[in-house]
Amino acid sequence: MSNNSIETIQRDLLERVQTVDVPRDVLKSPELKQLYGTIATLPAEERGPFGKSLNDMKAILEQAITEREEQAESAKIVALDVTAPWDLNTHQPSLLPTTQGTQHPLTTELEVVIDIFTRMGFQAIESRQIDDDFHMFGALNFPENHPARDGYDTFRTEEGFIPPAHTSTMQHRILKNGRADLEAGTPIAAISYGRVFRNEDVDATHEHTFYQVEGVFVSKTATLGEMLGTLRSFFEAYYGQQLRIKTQPAYFPFTEPGLEFAIEKPAALGGKPGEWLEMLGCGMIHPNVLETAGIDPNEYSGFAWGGGVERLVMLKYGIEDLRHFESAKLTFLRKFA
Amino acid sequence: MIISVNWLKKYTDITVSIDELTKLIGERLVEIEQVIPLAEKYQDVIIVKVVECGPVENSDHLNLTKIDDGGVWQDVERDERGLIQVVCGAPNVHAGMSAAWLPPRSTVPETFGDTEPFVLGARKLRGYMSNGMLASAKELDLYDDHRGIIEVDKQVEPGSSFAKVYELDDYLLDIENKSLTHRPDTFGIIGFAREVAGIQGIAFHTPEWLTHLQSTTSVEGEAVEAPRVIIEDTQLSDRFSAIVLSGALESAGSPLDIQTYLSRSGMRPINAIVDVTNYLMLLTGQPLHAYDYDKFLQVSGGVNEVRVRKARLGEELAILDGRTLTLTDADTVIAAGDVAVGLAGAMGGADTEIDASTQRILLECATFNLFDLRAVQMRHGIFSEAITRLTKGIPAPLGIPVLNQAASMLNDLASARVSSVVTEDYPGKRGALEIEVSLNRVNRLLGTDLSALDCVEILGNVEMPTRMNGDALVVSVPYWRHDITIVEDVIEEIGRLRGFDEITPMLPIRTFSAVTPSPFDALRARLRKTLVRAGANEVLTYSFIHGDTMQKAGQKQADAYRITNSISPELQYYRQSLIPSLLTAIHPNVKAGFDHFALFELNKFHTKRHDLTDEAVPKEIDSLGFVIARLQSADGSAFYEAKQYLEYIAKELGTVFVYETLEADTDYPVTQPFEPKRSARVWNADKTVRIGVIGEFKRSVAKNFKLPTSIAGFEVSPRSLHHLAEAAPARYIADSRYPAIERDVCFRVPVTVTYDALMTVIDKQAPVSEITVATAPLDLYHMSESDTKNITVRFTLKANDRTLVGQEATEYIEQVSKSVQNKLKGEIV
Repeated sequence: MSNNSIETIQRDLLERVQTVDVPRDVLKSPELKQLYGTIATLPAEERGPFGKSLNDMKAILEQAITEREEQAESAKIVALDVTAPWDLNTHQPSLLPTTQGTQHPLTTELEVVIDIFTRMGFQAIESRQIDDDFHMFGALNFPENHPARDGYDTFRTEEGFIPPAHTSTMQHRILKNGRADLEAGTPIAAISYGRVFRNEDVDATHEHTFYQVEGVFVSKTATLGEMLGTLRSFFEAYYGQQLRIKTQPAYFPFTEPGLEFAIEKPAALGGKPGEWLEMLGCGMIHPNVLETAGIDPNEYSGFAWGGGVERLVMLKYGIEDLRHFESAKLTFLRKFA
Repeated sequence: MIISVNWLKKYTDITVSIDELTKLIGERLVEIEQVIPLAEKYQDVIIVKVVECGPVENSDHLNLTKIDDGGVWQDVERDERGLIQVVCGAPNVHAGMSAAWLPPRSTVPETFGDTEPFVLGARKLRGYMSNGMLASAKELDLYDDHRGIIEVDKQVEPGSSFAKVYELDDYLLDIENKSLTHRPDTFGIIGFAREVAGIQGIAFHTPEWLTHLQSTTSVEGEAVEAPRVIIEDTQLSDRFSAIVLSGALESAGSPLDIQTYLSRSGMRPINAIVDVTNYLMLLTGQPLHAYDYDKFLQVSGGVNEVRVRKARLGEELAILDGRTLTLTDADTVIAAGDVAVGLAGAMGGADTEIDASTQRILLECATFNLFDLRAVQMRHGIFSEAITRLTKGIPAPLGIPVLNQAASMLNDLASARVSSVVTEDYPGKRGALEIEVSLNRVNRLLGTDLSALDCVEILGNVEMPTRMNGDALVVSVPYWRHDITIVEDVIEEIGRLRGFDEITPMLPIRTFSAVTPSPFDALRARLRKTLVRAGANEVLTYSFIHGDTMQKAGQKQADAYRITNSISPELQYYRQSLIPSLLTAIHPNVKAGFDHFALFELNKFHTKRHDLTDEAVPKEIDSLGFVIARLQSADGSAFYEAKQYLEYIAKELGTVFVYETLEADTDYPVTQPFEPKRSARVWNADKTVRIGVIGEFKRSVAKNFKLPTSIAGFEVSPRSLHHLAEAAPARYIADSRYPAIERDVCFRVPVTVTYDALMTVIDKQAPVSEITVATAPLDLYHMSESDTKNITVRFTLKANDRTLVGQEATEYIEQVSKSVQNKLKGEIV
């Protein structure tokens, strides 16, 4: 059987796909069956190539059939009067019962956190979900190839953009935008909040996507003592009780000194004296970071901190598995009615 | 990293309890993950003298011993001399030796802490009573060694506590390395001890041998010309020093106390040569490496030269762990002449390995570029104790004192003689650094009230000599603290060593002014609450999706930002709209038994279809996605169920939306999943602001996501909603005091006339000025096959100044009727 005749048959069959009522029946046509039948009669070395050209033809037919079927489907779709308030011959649909509605516990908690900081005099700015190396690392005193970069397990896009691994990706912008106010005598006081991303495997206590809140305060007189006071004040407002705090030295390239900050587990969470909860990392803003934003570190000092939001929510409600948050499962979400 | 407290005590006093010590270290130096007490594990191990030893009859390996425990163990069978009988299978047991005895009723240390620890007794072996056992290093949980029992190498009275003699009444601190990446000095016991002294407020004194920064070795016997050291590129290494030693005995073992310190720190004792290098590394942080010098010369073809050079692409190197690596030009090698004999800082080569035939060793002490080494770790999977330390940036001056000490110890323990002078290349010399910081600045940054004397003492305790210059502190930075370069570093040291928790927390004093909460945040909160009130459930879903999901939704991967290094295939692309994520969530919830529900998400998406911002980063699109699903098909199309929600939002925001059929050829990621014939573009009232898209989904999309029959959704811009809400300030209009007139009117119009078209005609028919008219749909009816449909509208007419009479309403409705007739070919039924 020559290739020429295959082409002819293919042309005929394609034409038939366009004209018959049930285009899929073309695949059962006797011509096709016959062609497949001839394979066995061919010399062994010709069977392969011939079979392949038959399969190619079948694929072309199938694509044409699918296209025609979709056209037919689409033609059957009845257009709606999108301006009407409801469908013809029906009545106004009702909304779902209010009792069924729930807000995500994370956004609920984030609103609470933002509210407290707003009342403490901090502007709230949402963090970016895609950023560049400069804001994520460079402006924060992470030199190229610095080992500290490894700790962040960042994703990267083809273009070299970075899904930020911390909300500190906003710090440089906050500092730069606040510089004029600072020079006019108003301290910079802002938080940035939002999604951050780490390239790691997901399990009950690890997520590649989570939420952070970052805070920045810069003035002529900001001290480490003020940082501790500010953070303690936030957690006392959040838990509605007086709290003991403690710190631990930590290393972040964008702080000097850098600390981990812990609170004594509040009674509301069933805490006993001597039980500590590590809440966040913090420190005095590194002079290089201030300088990069055009703020003179000899004249101004500042502190910054950043911590996770999921942890607050999990502690508050006793949620056992971090994976629930992004699961979109109603069995989880409806518990927060 | 494991730090032994007893080892620290050799270099500093520890004046506080272990609990206070770990608390102090946690607060002022580094997080301790775990404290491992050893004392209990070794409490019953007793040093004994083997007095008699002879073979057990009918056994090829058992020995019958009589041991002397000094009479310390109670309730054990003794002979008339007070000796205890123990059967021992170790080949090295012999009379006269001292051994570690595990008496009856003691727990074998190797099994200590197990769920079923092995408690010894007295039992018969081949007919002979054996009381407890003589222990091997393995049974003592020191290290794996099958050669036999350990031989106690200190002259002590039988009955002495093994734990006391070998200082195993210890605590091991498991240190969280990560926060010490900038502190190479703390990766040695001595440096760690310096910190422990400092945080206790005690002055530390570095051992004398470590303060000799020049070579103190002298050649013994026949001198050998040391190889010339050449660092080809100063970027590769700050310093490479070496010395030739002769006569080292490969077979010599190190003393048991060195062995126990190595093993409790997680390293296996091998022989004196290896143990000394490891011991000094644990002590100082400085790794050492020993080459067989004769093999070295053989490999180099007699060229007496050590070269530190870049590897050549494709160059092969057999290393000590048995692998043969193919190197890249980012690797650094140590070469004998031109031939690579070691992967710098990572592992030595097999060709120059020390063995029983070794006559002379070349002992290397060097530092390498820490950034290069970090890449080497990843590239070749080498995570040894040595490379861990070198990647922290070991300071170059440390090399010589460590080499001095190594030569001295190897002489003591393995009879090695120094045969050459120290040879080195040292391109990375650094000058001494002094930092001047005013006392005021220290107190201003920390929020403290420290005196100059306080600061001088705090820094002096950790050997940072500090003098005063007026009211400024002038701090000499020691060579092991390269991390201290600026004023703030000094301030951190003062605050940290004194204890940050000693600082009084206080609130900033500032002029107060009210902060206005972000209006956009407020709007989003309002949208959330509105939708929740209407029975919808807020979800959060990932910002990244699988390429297949995008395709299933009809979106093009080429428009999406692609993640190149994700460890999960689920996270390939930034999503280009929220709807695909929401559609993914429908089927699992239906399967979980939910049959009628609405999900929404307020989040962002990113697509290459938008330009970059002024900062040259991708634009972020805020979005509100909503989907309502129903398992049983509803009365009427799902479209209107979703629309009901959007209208609810419009009402909440005090604004009006206009719907326009979605054009079929629309090619924008957000609209891709929607079926154009059953979807609409949503605008504000005068069609100047695009709100978003609403509709049912394409059949292919429904099939791909396994969606139930009745499903529709919308994706709208909260930024646009914010804009509209701000433009529609809430205003109160009082009701008329006069009664209204209601008229229900049924219009029959051609089936092609849309509801909006009819309402537009009606709205244009203004009544007389003082009358206001409100309209509301009552009924939409279409008899199948008919070319007309009926739309029933309720008119509510009111006047603010009087009671309307019926005639006025009738006249108005007649005018409306005429317009509808003229413009739409409709009629009143």
